Amino acid sequence: MRIIVHNAKCQGHARCWAQAPDIFKLDDDGYILPGDIQVAEGEQLLASQGARSCPERALEVDRTSAARFEPAAMQPRTGEA
Amino acid sequence: MAINPVPDHVPPEMVRDFSLFTSPGMPPTPNGDPHAAVACAHDGPPIFYSPYNTQDGRGTWVITRAADQRKVLQDAETFSSHRSIFSSILGETWPTIPLELDPPAHGAFRSLLSPLLSPKRVTALEPAVRERAIALIDRITASATSCDVMKDFAFPFTVSIFLRFLGLPDQGLDTFVGWAKDLLHGDDVERPVAARKIVAFIDELATNRRKDPVDDLMTFIVQAQIEGRRLTDGEIRGIGVLVFVAGLDTVAAAIGFDLAYLARNLKDQELLRSEPDRILLATEELLRAYPPIQLIRVATKDIDFEGAPIRKGDYVSCATMIANRDPEEFESPNTVDLAREHNRHAAFGYGPHRCLGSHLARREIVIGLEEWLARIPTFRIKEGTAPITCGGHVFGIENLILDWS
Ligand code: HEM
Ligand code: SF4
Repeated sequence: MRIIVHNAKCQGHARCWAQAPDIFKLDDDGYILPGDIQVAEGEQLLASQGARSCPERALEVDRTSAARFEPAAMQPRTGEA
Repeated sequence: MAINPVPDHVPPEMVRDFSLFTSPGMPPTPNGDPHAAVACAHDGPPIFYSPYNTQDGRGTWVITRAADQRKVLQDAETFSSHRSIFSSILGETWPTIPLELDPPAHGAFRSLLSPLLSPKRVTALEPAVRERAIALIDRITASATSCDVMKDFAFPFTVSIFLRFLGLPDQGLDTFVGWAKDLLHGDDVERPVAARKIVAFIDELATNRRKDPVDDLMTFIVQAQIEGRRLTDGEIRGIGVLVFVAGLDTVAAAIGFDLAYLARNLKDQELLRSEPDRILLATEELLRAYPPIQLIRVATKDIDFEGAPIRKGDYVSCATMIANRDPEEFESPNTVDLAREHNRHAAFGYGPHRCLGSHLARREIVIGLEEWLARIPTFRIKEGTAPITCGGHVFGIENLILDWS
């Protein structure tokens, strides 16, 4: 999973950081640092909650890779069981 | 007070008898709930025209939906902040800064101030904020089992934090609170008098700090540079006045409405007292339910916005208390649910003018509630008393007598 950061929309509410300071890093003024965020395996829920907390809608959750991967990886197992 | 006639371009069917100043529940009301009263704006069309919706009796478009307010507030090119709300009280037209500047001029001033109020800086202020809250509450409990929360806690707490931030001594506290009250809730005579006093005070402070610099905000401002030059006297005044006004009344009003809610809802009060970890999330819900501010923008060009024929020069109102009760944005918006998640409320505005003090304001409210609940047993509104609330440009609560005997 990846968080797409729309920096131009960020207005420094810092709500993402309040949810997950280790995932959403802010500059000295309290605005999010530029660059998309690659989310580690165990942090997906926290990251998507942080993204959903942005009042300006500056954070977009991109699940495309995960969405294609997981069900395919799961299917054979459920199928065989 | 003069009411401007409804302009010809406003279709009569879009005019509604609604006003943040004169509708039911807006004038001072004992046991009022002005936030619930304005939620009725959602019973009608998403955008309408109110013929009387500013302090000086102007008409405004009223944007009710949170999503539409976001569009307006994020688009400073079409919806300008040039409106001289403060200086017009004096019959003048200079902007408070950064509030009434538009990008790109706005950005330079905002960048100057934002490190001073950043999340990091606020974390550093936290111990002083907590100490102040504890000292005030201890003084109250030492001699009484009842108090006026506004006079004895909310105002002295928020104003003294703020004075410390500005670098001013606590002695001025009562005077400053008086000015702020007259400015925000006074009549046509009191308001200009208060505005003139605030301007004179800021001008004098700037002069003093130029002569004898100390480590405080005003010294920082008079020494600061933007784009390679010092600030002009007018710019210094614009910043000083805004910072003075922005933090005086808002946080105190928030704490007042929050404690009034808890005094009337004992289950929620007990929940927060026994599980203080919930206060952080609860504060967001209380900011959603009881935000104090109406935002005004001025259209810079003709635009048909979501079906409303907005014309250049029209005033557009984004009342945070209306957006925060939008059923399309919040499930059961009129229910206060202290565990509400994903609470992207509009209390601090949206777009480039997002409240610079939001991080400080949040900490003050959270700490105020934490220390109050930890030190004061079950409290109720004192029998025979009624908190007086009012609407307007900034919603307020005048008195809140609580009793825990
Ligand atoms: C609960 C308390 C507060 C609330 C609800 C609040 C709300 C707001 C809102 C809605 C705006 C945007 C106005 C607009 O877009 O026209 C704003 C702007 C601002 N607020 Fe606050 N405020 C609060 C406390 C504070 C405090 C404590 C400070 C200062 C220490 C502060 C400083 C400012 C400043 C400097 C601006 C102008 C920002 C800009 O124009 O870029 N506020 N506030
Ligand atoms: S919550 Fe949104 S606006 Fe706020 S810092 Fe994070 S990205 Fe920026």
